[in-house]
Amino acid sequence: MCSQAAENEMESRMKPDGEKTEPPGYQRVVLKNASPHHYLKVRLLLEDESTRVSAVELKRFIISCLRGLHGEVGAALEVDVLKYDEETLSALLRVHSRGLVKLWSSLTLQGSYQNQACAFRVLQRDAAYSRSRSRS
Amino acid sequence: MVRVKSRYLLCEINVSDRSELLKLDDRAVARAVKAAVARTHGDYGSALCSMRFCVKYLNAHTGIVFLRFPKGCYKLLWSALPFITSIESRGQIISCFFNCLHVGGTIRTCQRFLIRYNTQQLHRMLPKCKNEEEKKQIQESILSCSLMGRNNEAFEDELESEEDGE
Repeated sequence: MCSQAAENEMESRMKPDGEKTEPPGYQRVVLKNASPHHYLKVRLLLEDESTRVSAVELKRFIISCLRGLHGEVGAALEVDVLKYDEETLSALLRVHSRGLVKLWSSLTLQGSYQNQACAFRVLQRDAAYSRSRSRS
Repeated sequence: MVRVKSRYLLCEINVSDRSELLKLDDRAVARAVKAAVARTHGDYGSALCSMRFCVKYLNAHTGIVFLRFPKGCYKLLWSALPFITSIESRGQIISCFFNCLHVGGTIRTCQRFLIRYNTQQLHRMLPKCKNEEEKKQIQESILSCSLMGRNNEAFEDELESEEDGE
């Protein structure tokens, strides 16, 4: 957040000189000490869009994905569903940084939910909760 | 050419009744390891296990096995070994557990370790002898398996005598 503020300040300082600065296409974020958790914003796409999935079912499904690909070690990972929207089937997940790769890979490789084709789209990944919330 | 590197795990199979060890064969051990890996690490683990895993050596008398794993993932596969509680062999279930004694890069280092380990075991057994003849037998076998005059015959003798000593 600090670096963003600094960038904005620089932009405002440069504008009065008449120089048109390009809006930055990317933002560089440097983390001094790596955060213990990572946040994933995912959306579940289902073949039959009328299917209702409750938050509990989603969590159970995520754990079964992990169990399939990474066994009991994967199923023991701490994955929290922080926010879930039943209308759009999008959820915000929190996972320990060590389990991020396992979670992401098992979500990506999951292809079916209750005998219908499904896919997880990972919309966003972030190491800080505030950023992943503010960009939505 | 670069060598494909592996790690060899020297494990001891512990059973309550030693006569059950004779029922083991290498395929049964491999199956048990694969099943344990599949349970603890899922599809990912069993895929790693199918790459270059094999049971290189099994001594059914002493319960010593050499397991070969790819070097890149041996720690992950190793972590599944404590979860093996039984081996199914020829329709019988043998309850056992694995005790890893040594991890080596080649079979030769593992063999060297095994000889040293067995020598130590014989030294440990020596005070427990009941009569003089037994004691003499064990002393002879310690001498025959010392690292100085090591050869394959000595290795075999020593394994045999360890079994006799028990």
